[in-house]
Amino acid sequence: MQNGAGCGSLSRRQLLRMIGVTAGNAAMYQAMSSLGFAEDSPYRGPIDLQGAPRNTSVLILGAGLAGMTAAYELRNAGYRVQVLEFNARPGGRNWSLRGGDTYTELGGLTQHCQFDQDLYINPGPWRIPYHHRGILNYCKRLGVPLEAFVQINYNAYLHSSRAFGGKPQRYREIKADYQGQVAELLAKTTRQQALDASVSREDQEKLLASLRDWGALDKTYAYVPGDASSDRRGYKKAPGGGMSARPIPSEPIGLSDLLDSKLWQGIYSGDTFDLQTPLFQPVGGMGRIGDALGRELGPLIRYHARVTDIHQDARGISVQYEDMLSPGSQLTASSDWCLCTIPLSILAQIPMNVGPAMAAAIAAVPYASAVKVGLQFKRRFWEEDDDIYGGITYTDLPITNIGYPSSGYHSAGKGVLLGAYIYGVDAMEFTAMAPPERVQKAVDYGSQIHPQYREEFDNGVAVAWHRSPFAMGCYGMWNSDTRARHYDDLCQIDQRIALAGEHASYLPGWQEGAITSALDAIERLHRRIVAQAGKA
Amino acid sequence: MRALFGGLTLRRLVIALLVAGIVAAAQADDPSFAVMATLSNVSGEDIYNRICQGCHMAHGEGAIGAGRYPKLADDSTLASWRYAALTVLQGRNNMPAFSAPPQLEWDSPTLHLSDAQVADVVNYVRSHFGNNYKERVTADDVAKLPHPAVGAAP
Repeated sequence: MQNGAGCGSLSRRQLLRMIGVTAGNAAMYQAMSSLGFAEDSPYRGPIDLQGAPRNTSVLILGAGLAGMTAAYELRNAGYRVQVLEFNARPGGRNWSLRGGDTYTELGGLTQHCQFDQDLYINPGPWRIPYHHRGILNYCKRLGVPLEAFVQINYNAYLHSSRAFGGKPQRYREIKADYQGQVAELLAKTTRQQALDASVSREDQEKLLASLRDWGALDKTYAYVPGDASSDRRGYKKAPGGGMSARPIPSEPIGLSDLLDSKLWQGIYSGDTFDLQTPLFQPVGGMGRIGDALGRELGPLIRYHARVTDIHQDARGISVQYEDMLSPGSQLTASSDWCLCTIPLSILAQIPMNVGPAMAAAIAAVPYASAVKVGLQFKRRFWEEDDDIYGGITYTDLPITNIGYPSSGYHSAGKGVLLGAYIYGVDAMEFTAMAPPERVQKAVDYGSQIHPQYREEFDNGVAVAWHRSPFAMGCYGMWNSDTRARHYDDLCQIDQRIALAGEHASYLPGWQEGAITSALDAIERLHRRIVAQAGKA
Repeated sequence: MRALFGGLTLRRLVIALLVAGIVAAAQADDPSFAVMATLSNVSGEDIYNRICQGCHMAHGEGAIGAGRYPKLADDSTLASWRYAALTVLQGRNNMPAFSAPPQLEWDSPTLHLSDAQVADVVNYVRSHFGNNYKERVTADDVAKLPHPAVGAAP
């Protein structure tokens, strides 16, 4: 998400925000719905798969959240389950990179993560909205403790390299001032009777009262330095105790400067449905969810398995795979049914005898580019110097944002920031760089916002999703045209094979999409299996 | 992704915003970044190095993991410039189209290359990495190829 002002490339979210601003919420909601964005999670509680025929086997391809959720539920329902996974670990894109970890990307460049103990970044998903009931429920059932993920921090920055001399502004100030200036303007317009044609006199009175509240205006409906505005935007000298207690109000930014800065683009970063507070993260890293499911499934998962061929016929499924520990080996796994959660980026290249409709759907989804950079610093200067505890700074620089850790506040020793979270064309360019160069760029850009970077930088890691050997892209990018033509064909069971993953959802890139697609697929698969057993 | 990660832009808006000058000039100060608003100045070699290389690698060697990125070095399929140009125009599997019409744009914007740039990057790849195809593709050649379109037959 290229949030913040003046970005080179615009994310959908950013566009939606602008649509919201320029065209109103109804237009925004319509746009969101058509983009598959405002969908609520279809999760309706634990799945109930009764009456599994004895001795029926399901082979699951991929031990990401979709594959493992399916394996967990099918096993519990009495199916014989086996999972093949390319990586040496469970989780897939649910993943935390920790000190001591090694990561080799496509092209062969290896990074040794040198973070201190307990420090990590989540190269993939990093936050869970409160309404993603499916993943939250698995966290609960699996005993994965959660903590709050700070999405909006009023003291984090909005930054434009082209406004305010490149000096970052506090979110608090931009939000309060934008709101205050708009309220003042609308109040003025109202009192000039310019709204008489559209708003009754009585409602105008109510509107004026609400604008005074909402915009922190004074008695004359002006947004000016004083207690009201400073109570929103902060003080020049904050109130305290004792002899030096007296507060000094701060000076609001004028409307023209605010508009010019375009920092208003960042105000809504916590207002979209999937980023509304509260959000959560697993204690110790997002990867804890994949770890927990992996532990639960134990030997049912075969790691280092690179699927090379998927075949079905009237009798069952036969999957060829290579054991990556014995290069060149060819092994076969057989089953009655198959749930394939391999990302379409990879599945499109694997021979699989499904019908032309599903095959066309698999080939129709390009993958989004994204890059994350984790930076370790010698101290938590963002807390010590800048009073920033968690939350996100948005910038127009290619790094897009800086994410501050929502845990470990005040810890002594080193700290890790998400130094960049890059989408779109900038992400493509970052992907084309070697990892050390990505890290260096993130440090260079970030130091324009936090000059402490220069002194305090320790080490970093950079994950470019198109270079990921196990995903080859960040998430499946649908558009309204491909959705209309291919989505149902992708989700339809093809004889004995069903697909699942975030790519088979209206929640692209979200873990909830992976989980709800898996549950939906196994429910349909189960019904088909039971129906066929009944006929036999 | 959007959260991790998150479809689809309204290209018209993008264009309006570009015209309105919202595109970052910040990157202009950093020569290692292409300024995509002024991409018309970027050569085929630059496009390869800054974009294509991300997957096809520095010397066109491609890569193999759970899946693979096709190698472009010593690649006999490049004998067909049309195949190469169509791949850039329309995308292939997980590779996005680099000539998507406005309504087909995704949320995570890709580059929209002009026909001249498609020709340029195709010429670059066909004359590097051990490839030595002599004929030069022009913007007019590319213009005659089918471009991705809304509602086109699959």
